[in-house]
This record gives sequence, C-alpha cells and structure tokens, in this order.
Amino acid sequence: MSTPATKAPSQGGFRQAQAWLHTWCGLWFSWLLFAVFLTGTLAVFDEPITHWMTPEHHAEEAAAAAKKEKGEPTADRAQRLAWGMAYMARHHPGAPMWELWPSDAQGGGELRVFWFDANREYVGVTLDPVTGKPLNDGAGHAARATQGGHHFVDFHYELHAGTVGLWIIGIATMAMLVALVSGVITHKRIFKDFFTFRPKKGQRSWLDAHNAVAVLTLPFQFMIAYTGLVISGTSFMPAPKVLHYGTGPAAQMRFVSELSGSENPVATGRAMPVPVLEPFAARGQERMGQPVRAVVIDHPGDAGARIGVYGWNGDDDALRRLSAATSGMVQFSAATGEVQRVRLPGAADGGAAMTAQSAMGGLHMVTFGGWPMKWLYFLCGLAGTAMMGSGAVLFIVKRRQKHLGEFGGATARVYRLVEALNVAAIAGLAIACVGYLWANRLVPVGIGHRADRELQVFFALWALALVHAFVRQPARAWREQLGALAALCLLLPVVNFLTTGDHLLAQLLRSDWESLGVELGVMAFGLAALGALRHLLRKGAR
Amino acid sequence: MTTVWASLLGLALAYAGMSCLSFAMDRHHEQLTRGREVPARRRTGLRVIGVVLLAAAVVPCVMAWGATVGSVAWLGFLSAGALPVALLLPYRPRAVAWGAGAAAVAGGAGLVPVLAGLLR
Repeated sequence: MSTPATKAPSQGGFRQAQAWLHTWCGLWFSWLLFAVFLTGTLAVFDEPITHWMTPEHHAEEAAAAAKKEKGEPTADRAQRLAWGMAYMARHHPGAPMWELWPSDAQGGGELRVFWFDANREYVGVTLDPVTGKPLNDGAGHAARATQGGHHFVDFHYELHAGTVGLWIIGIATMAMLVALVSGVITHKRIFKDFFTFRPKKGQRSWLDAHNAVAVLTLPFQFMIAYTGLVISGTSFMPAPKVLHYGTGPAAQMRFVSELSGSENPVATGRAMPVPVLEPFAARGQERMGQPVRAVVIDHPGDAGARIGVYGWNGDDDALRRLSAATSGMVQFSAATGEVQRVRLPGAADGGAAMTAQSAMGGLHMVTFGGWPMKWLYFLCGLAGTAMMGSGAVLFIVKRRQKHLGEFGGATARVYRLVEALNVAAIAGLAIACVGYLWANRLVPVGIGHRADRELQVFFALWALALVHAFVRQPARAWREQLGALAALCLLLPVVNFLTTGDHLLAQLLRSDWESLGVELGVMAFGLAALGALRHLLRKGAR
Repeated sequence: MTTVWASLLGLALAYAGMSCLSFAMDRHHEQLTRGREVPARRRTGLRVIGVVLLAAAVVPCVMAWGATVGSVAWLGFLSAGALPVALLLPYRPRAVAWGAGAAAVAGGAGLVPVLAGLLR
C-alpha cells in the first residue's frame, strides 16, 4: 500500500515518461507520417485523380455514354463470349490465362479481354460490342502514360521502394500507434479539453489544435494505423509462413493456394479445344445468383483447363459490406463440366481468417459505403495529416520560447535541422504533390518512360524543397514555400486549360464531376496555403 | 434510405449532439452566455439531449448501410460532427448554438418519417 504522498510523484513520473516517449517517437516519425497521411488521404480519390490525369480517355468515355443512351443494339452474352474467345485464340493462343469480361451488370457496355503477356504483365484490349472487332481509336497508344492517382496509393504504403519501403512504413506505423497511446496517457485533461481550441495564443493554440484533431478523430486514427499494419501482416511477421512453407516462389504459391482453399489447376499436356463458354456462364450465374462479370480460363487449349465464372456485386453489396472486394464465383472443369468450387457473394476464400483479413483491407481502403464514406475518410485523413503537422510544428514552437538544451552544445543545430525538415516535410511535400499534377500536363505525351518522368518531377521537387529549407532562414522558407504552393494549386486549372483546352465550366456542363472535383479540391488546398501565408505575413509585420 | 440523405441526417444529429455536450461544460457555456458556471439542471438536460442526439445519429446510418458498415459510418460522423464544434466555438459561439438548434430540429424532423415507418 502506498500513501498518497508517495503515489503522486510515481504517477507524475509515469506520465512524464509517456510524454517523453510521445515527444521523441512522434517527432522523428512525424515527417514521414505526414507524407504517408497526406498521400494516403489523396489516395482515397485515386480514381478521380487518374481520370483527371488521362484526359485522352474523356472523349472515349463520353462517346460510350452517348452510345449507351441511344440504346444502340449490342450483341448478347453468348455472342460476346464467342468473340472474346475467337480474339484470344487468334492473337494469344499461348497465354496461360484468358480473362473475358463480356459486359456490365445490365448486359450492355464494353467487351474486354485480358491476359498475361510474355513478360508476365497483365494486359488487355477492348472489343466493339457491335462487331466484335478490337477498338483502337484513341485507346492505349495515344493516351499519356501515367501512374495517375495510383502513385499516391503506392507511395503511401511502400514509397515506390518495394519491400524496403513497406518495412519503413510498417515501422513508422508502429511508432504512430506508440505515439497515439502515449499521447492519450500524456493528455491529462482529455475530457475537460475535449472541445477546446484557443486561437491566437502561440504555443497554446498549436497544442490545442494538435489535441483537438487527434482526440476528436481518435477512433479513425487507431483504425487506419492498425488495419494498415494488418493488411501486410504476413510481410511484417513472416516467421510462421517461412517455417511452415519455406521461401521462394513455389512456397509462396503453395501458401496462397492453401490459404484460399483452392488447388492450382495443372496442365496435362493433352490438347483439348476450349469449349463453348455460354453454358458455363449461364450455370455459374444460376449457382452464385449474380450477373456474370468475368469468365477466366486457366490453361486454355489443355485438357486440364479450368473455367471460373465471377459475378458482379450489386450496388447494395458494395454499400453494405466491409469486404466488398469479393464477389460470387463458380469454378468448373472444362473437360467434364463438373462444378469444382462455389463461392457465394460476400464470402472470402478460405474461411473466417481470410474473411477477417478481407474486412480489415476493406476498412482501410474504404471499399464500402460509396461516396459519402470516401468523403468521411478524406476528412478524417486530413485531420490525421493536421495532427502530424501540428505536432511537428508544436515541438519547435515550444523550443523557440524556451531553449531546452536537450543536445548540449549541438542543440541549436538540431533545432535548425528540425525547422528545415518541418518546412520540407509539410510545405515541400504538398508542393511535390501538386507538382506531380503539373508534370502530368507539361511532360510531352510521346516521350519514353513517361510515367517515370512524372514521378521524377515529384521527387525532384521534394528534394529541391529540402535544399531550399536548409538554405533559407526558417521564417522565409515557410513563406516562400507556402507562396509557391498556393500559386501552383491556384494556377493548376490555367495550365490544364492551356495544355488540354479543358476548363471548369466545360467540366460542369458535361457533368464531369471527377475532373471538377479534382480541380476545385486542389484550389481549396491553394486557398488554405494562401491563408497560412497571410497569417505568417501578418505575424511577421507585428 | 439513400446514403446521401443518411449522411446529412447523421452529420446534423452528430453535430447537434456534440454542441449540446460542449455547452454542458463551464468553459463553453461561458463563451455563449458569459455565465461562469452551468446551472446543475441545465447541465444535466444538455447532457441527456446531447447523448440522445448522438445515439439517434446511428438510426439513419444503420438504415442506409446496414449494421456493419452503419456502425463504422456512425463513428465517422461523430468525429465529423465534433470537429466544426471545436474549431468554431472560439470564433462564433452563438452561430454554433443556433446551428445546433437548427440541426437538431432538421435531424429530428428527418427521423420522424423513418421511425413512423419502423413502428408501422
């Protein structure tokens, strides 16, 4: 039993230890986590961003929509499947897998075929649903090569650096969870200060803002960090897998096939033509209760071929299911026509563990709930971004008032380093993100490795911002980079107009909400940067 | 119920509920009324109304998205409803209060046909 007198200091000691942990764990990872959060937040809208970044597709999409509205008669599924198969048999007979997407859920739309080419790359072509001939006008070759919005997806979880990047992000995410827990323990008045924000009070305001955005969106921040780790769980904790299955591609294939509870089909070497697909499609549709999305043939032309029929999830499925990625599926033996496996809509392959994993993935990537949920994730993601940024700024604002001398003689130099990294990590990264969109419009369309050039602009701008932040005094660096950010954001529609002739009014008139949303969103970021700049200039004048 | 309609209702109810909870605290009550302390009965009243409004926000979420996704959406709307309260209070406490009243009335009115439909 301890008396209150001895208890109080020990509690203070614990809280102080947590505060120390929160400060240093938070600070050293805040710059990387700011980048992860900002790009991850943008990744919510990766499809609209990709749409904006591939203007050559806009005319095509409009023509397809007009065709659909006119109700031009198109072929039925049996004919579409026959055309798809004929195309593959003629052009890619040796491909180990054929994938035919006959139509949209209503039986209309385009007919598409996909396969793995000689370089194991997944490629596809669109066929005319009226004639069965490949569509070449404008598709593929003329469009600018770009990673589009997927750059933000890829960057936020592996920094375009493969497994090494994944590990770096994983460690940072662990640090974030540590900082969240220690932050809650450190925050003495978490309930009393729940809604507290006191502006224009310097250090106090930064602390309030940091607390408010973190506490009010705490469930989201925990969820997004935790699910982010769980998605790549077998990469971060590979020991059980390696012990049981070994390493190498063969082990990985065995692991995946056992996990999903399906055997990989084996080629027999005996030739057998691919049977007519429509009967398989019809039986598959009946068994799973969904319209047919895709028919996949493994080892076409072999007696061991397997035919998989996949379903379209209805709009309601995507809204109401966390693991919306899985649809119905029925597998047949091509030789005997017997059903090998049935997966009902919403069920994941391989039982409860895989279903849980799939729900975690859905929860992280917001595959559910439609546009309102995407906007909610965007908002909470921005709050998380603000949490990282305000934390990093708070560290240095606190020490501008009072030198704490943590690093002895080197303290001033460490503070200068932190100041510069703050500028480059916050304003500099934002410049790189919008600069990436500029690069999409300014890099010539026909150039080789074009998608890589866009990425190079992104990283070059970020590196430039870092150099600039070290060369200029912190206050100046902030002003100049915020100014550059505001200009780049607010002028993006101008560049778009000069390079493609498209503009906000035209987007509005043709109901192109995705393009309109991207440009208005970027302009909103620009106004925010302008607001921050004005605040700094006023403070400087005082 | 469409998801857009459910989002508006959920957001309105969450915002109104969070405002009530904030005005039940001395600091924010003072921002609004200049009265130092919240009278005990008003404090209890505001808290009860706030909790009821927050709980009511779960109804449109579950109706539009089902129980699984609906509960995720509800947690999200609680955060989204609380952020504007915290960020606007120091600048426009009266606007927060008026807005909360309007949101509570609109959210409640939006729920009436839903609840009536459930009872029938």
